[in-house]
Amino acid sequence: MTWSRATETRAAAILARYPEKRSAVMPLLYLAMAEEGGDLTEDGMRRVAELTGLSAAQVQAVASFYTMYKRDGVGRYLVSVCTSISCMLCGGDEVLDAVADETGVPDGETGEDGLFSVEHVECIGACGGAPAVQVNYELVEGVTPEQARSLCRWLAEQRPETVVGDDLQERFGGQRSFDWGPEEAEGATGPVPAFGPLGTTGERS
Amino acid sequence: MPSQPDLVTFTVDGKEAQVPAGTLLIEAVKAAGVHIPHFCYHPRMKPVGMCRMCLVQVEGPRGMMLGTSCTMPVTEGMVVHTDTDTVAKAQEGVLEFLLLNHPLDCPVCDRGGECPLQDQTMAAGPGESRFVEEKRHYPKPIPISDLVLLDRERCILCARCTRFSDEISGDPLIEFKDRGNATQVNTFPDEPFASYFSGNTVQICPVGALTATPYRFRARPWDLEAVESTCPHCSVGCRISVQASRNEALRFLGVDNGPVNQGWLCDKGRFGFEFLNSGDRLDTPLVRDEDGDLVEASWAEALDRAAAGLSAAAAEGPGRLAGLGGARSTNEEAYAFGRFVRETLGSNHLDAQLGDGLDPRVLAGITPRAAIDDLERARTVLVWAPDLKEELPVLYLRVRRAATELGANLVVVHPRATGLDPVATHTLRYRPGAGTEMLRRLADGSGDLAAVRAALDEGPVVAIIGRPGLGDDPRLAEAVMAFAAGLPDAAVLPVTRRSNVYGAADMGLAPTLLPGRVANDAPGRDAAGILEGLASGDLGGLVLLGSDPATDYVEPQQAAAALDAAGFTVAIDLFLTPSAAKADVVLPALGFAETEGTVTNLEGRVQKVNRLLPGPGSARPAHEILEDLARRMGGSIGAASAEALAAEIAGTAPAYAGITWEALSWGAGREGIVAPGPEGSQPLAVAPEDHAPPPAARDLVLHQARVLYDRGTLTQAGPSLAKLAKEPAAYVHPEDATRFGIKAGAAVRLTGSGGSAELPVVLDPSLVAGTVYVPLHLGAALGAGLEISMEAVT
Ligand code: SF4
Ligand code: SF4
Ligand code: FES
Ligand code: FES
Repeated sequence: MTWSRATETRAAAILARYPEKRSAVMPLLYLAMAEEGGDLTEDGMRRVAELTGLSAAQVQAVASFYTMYKRDGVGRYLVSVCTSISCMLCGGDEVLDAVADETGVPDGETGEDGLFSVEHVECIGACGGAPAVQVNYELVEGVTPEQARSLCRWLAEQRPETVVGDDLQERFGGQRSFDWGPEEAEGATGPVPAFGPLGTTGERS
Repeated sequence: MPSQPDLVTFTVDGKEAQVPAGTLLIEAVKAAGVHIPHFCYHPRMKPVGMCRMCLVQVEGPRGMMLGTSCTMPVTEGMVVHTDTDTVAKAQEGVLEFLLLNHPLDCPVCDRGGECPLQDQTMAAGPGESRFVEEKRHYPKPIPISDLVLLDRERCILCARCTRFSDEISGDPLIEFKDRGNATQVNTFPDEPFASYFSGNTVQICPVGALTATPYRFRARPWDLEAVESTCPHCSVGCRISVQASRNEALRFLGVDNGPVNQGWLCDKGRFGFEFLNSGDRLDTPLVRDEDGDLVEASWAEALDRAAAGLSAAAAEGPGRLAGLGGARSTNEEAYAFGRFVRETLGSNHLDAQLGDGLDPRVLAGITPRAAIDDLERARTVLVWAPDLKEELPVLYLRVRRAATELGANLVVVHPRATGLDPVATHTLRYRPGAGTEMLRRLADGSGDLAAVRAALDEGPVVAIIGRPGLGDDPRLAEAVMAFAAGLPDAAVLPVTRRSNVYGAADMGLAPTLLPGRVANDAPGRDAAGILEGLASGDLGGLVLLGSDPATDYVEPQQAAAALDAAGFTVAIDLFLTPSAAKADVVLPALGFAETEGTVTNLEGRVQKVNRLLPGPGSARPAHEILEDLARRMGGSIGAASAEALAAEIAGTAPAYAGITWEALSWGAGREGIVAPGPEGSQPLAVAPEDHAPPPAARDLVLHQARVLYDRGTLTQAGPSLAKLAKEPAAYVHPEDATRFGIKAGAAVRLTGSGGSAELPVVLDPSLVAGTVYVPLHLGAALGAGLEISMEAVT
């Protein structure tokens, strides 16, 4: 199989950055995920194997280690609740329960209607603003269980096209660890902004 | 000569020892007679330090340090302790940890009784576990290929299997998955572990996680009897352990013979023991009755009939009889066969090959020959030969090791992609028939071949040379050998596949040779000549020794017709092959593991094969059958016993002097002894121009080559391998497909010199346009001719 022409061009650009083709396996996996609407499929892994000269089993070995490669599909809104130590001490588990209850989607699963995926994650680097939550990898800090519920309700009712961290923070956030830098209005639909220019975040361009 | 590495002196448990610098501690302590328990370390693979079982204490500036001995090279003055309380506690801890999730399967596990985990737990483990929680559970077992099953619960994650398939065999179809709390070995969905070498992972798995279907639940290790022997499936001659219970062969294991197989086997060798137990084995003599049917007979009756028929044909005049076969026999049987044909039948028409090999004088080491182990020192390896992965699999592993581990340049010349291409520095492709042109350009080394030529000029060079396919003239191979012999510091290894064909040549089973690599001044007919003679009536009869020309001859239909026309035929065989089925008398012989003797591999290494099984019914050793026939025909070939024959060979064949059974059975002799080339061995004096057909200017040429799993008798006689043979297909270059209006998946009708077949098309861009590739012995018999016509079937 091959991907769309645009994706193949991006893949070639990513491969060109590495002296060893196999080193490109991780960004290519994000690309594969973006190509298939957020889902890392077997076909996607096979294509990455072809491009890197690895076997499909070796690609799977990498892909299955990282939880951010979504191999079982992912909903329109991925709600990630941090339950690592700082957030746990500040009520992360309760936030997770609230999210699961409000969305009806248990931890680690995707709802039948494909609207929400819910997961618990390890530290997302916002310990100062614990407990922290991400929606499509956009951060909101200092979230109480009640605010988490309203966040989910708002998403379900408003169905925003893109989710923007600063906006979420204003609506549902509490104490913030520090300022997250210049405001950007695009939002992210994939986990690696660093590769944004190469399309691995799945932004429509 | 590589310089001797410096020695370092170190102390282990108070004993001093000396080893070469750089030796890993786990190996080095062996010099002092110390053993360190381990799981993930394997001497033929790179260390990874995964299991932590090999922890030892090393004295350092800051006191005693615990470290993994499999990853620590010895240094001068190192002081190592393997028997302290700390080490014992560490080992206990590691074992307790490894056993957290390991099931209590020992009573039903195939590994029980020969399991490193079981043994080391008994030796160094804690008495009981503090773990009271539930163990990990998986459905068990899951098949990861047609031959290998995986019990994930039993796996201790040592990565021996995954490292083998990545580092050694180069087909990493298994890998760790879901790393973390749920790490497991697995394949990619729908991509099974279909490696030609998968069985090695079963052998090196230190627990019972990987098992092979042919052996699973068949025996307990302590019930097995074993002898060491040599694999009978190809001319690499890998060392094996034959293991049986209640007179039934149950498995072959690889034995580490450093200069040859380094412990590995291919799956055809490993699982190719099943033919021995096949219900189709001949167990009683057969003779043709008045109605023309083969019916069972007593030995006396059958031998009488055979002797009478052969004597009658012999009485028609000298040279009326011929012999074919011996390439799968032991040297002793081959030698007896040679004496029988030459002395009893009075004929020089004798051939062990079937038109698909090389000049027997090349096989018998007329030229100086490379040893497989020369690959360890080669700077450059030239492979202009059959696809080694398909025909000589463990030689492929050795070449692959030279190219990957040892950094040699690898040049592969072949009509299409081969198993070695992924690790080759240069790959050259040519159309069968245009090999001479390719050789001329390579020797010239100008233009695009300059880089290849430069690589070939870096010695030492090991050149592995044979016929890439049936379309390649054997004289082309000789011309390539002559070229290669002139490369710097070059050693040439002529290769052809059938297991003991080199031994057969050494025993004189060739029209141009006498036993002991001596030229025959009155050469008889070769296989082609014999079959022609039978068809025309110039020859009156034939004796077949484990040879099936109706299947294996390059033109099978011609061979079948010749056998039909033959006046009188005696077949000595293990199976009623298509050729044996045409014989007048069929005599059942004992086969591998049922007779004792020696065999000679492709580098001229003589190794022992040993007896463990009684064999079926009244089958007898071939040399006894031949002696009985000779006696009935008024002579004797002096074949009182295989051992007596071996002694006679040692006396007759100068190259085999001193290579006795005794010498091969003990100490260093178990590695085999390379029979030295004959005195004053002459290099081949063939210039590329001398012998070779002109390059084909024809439209389409046919490339035919063997694949590992085919429809050969021995492969098909075992259920595990039989099902692995693929359906035949025509591999067509995309340009030709367009030219002939053929789509992938469509069918074509191919018509060659010896037959015609309708085959599905596979597009193969690795061919040179104008070439069609058809695998041999999968059911499509097209004949050996180079020309082929192709038409689309609608
Ligand atoms: S299956 Fe066996 S060889 Fe492979 S990692 Fe597990 S224990 Fe090691
Ligand atoms: S490479 Fe040849 S000799 Fe070795 S195991 Fe395979 S078939 Fe047997
Ligand atoms: S622990 Fe939750 S963000 Fe660091
Ligand atoms: S043998 Fe050293 S860590 Fe496994």
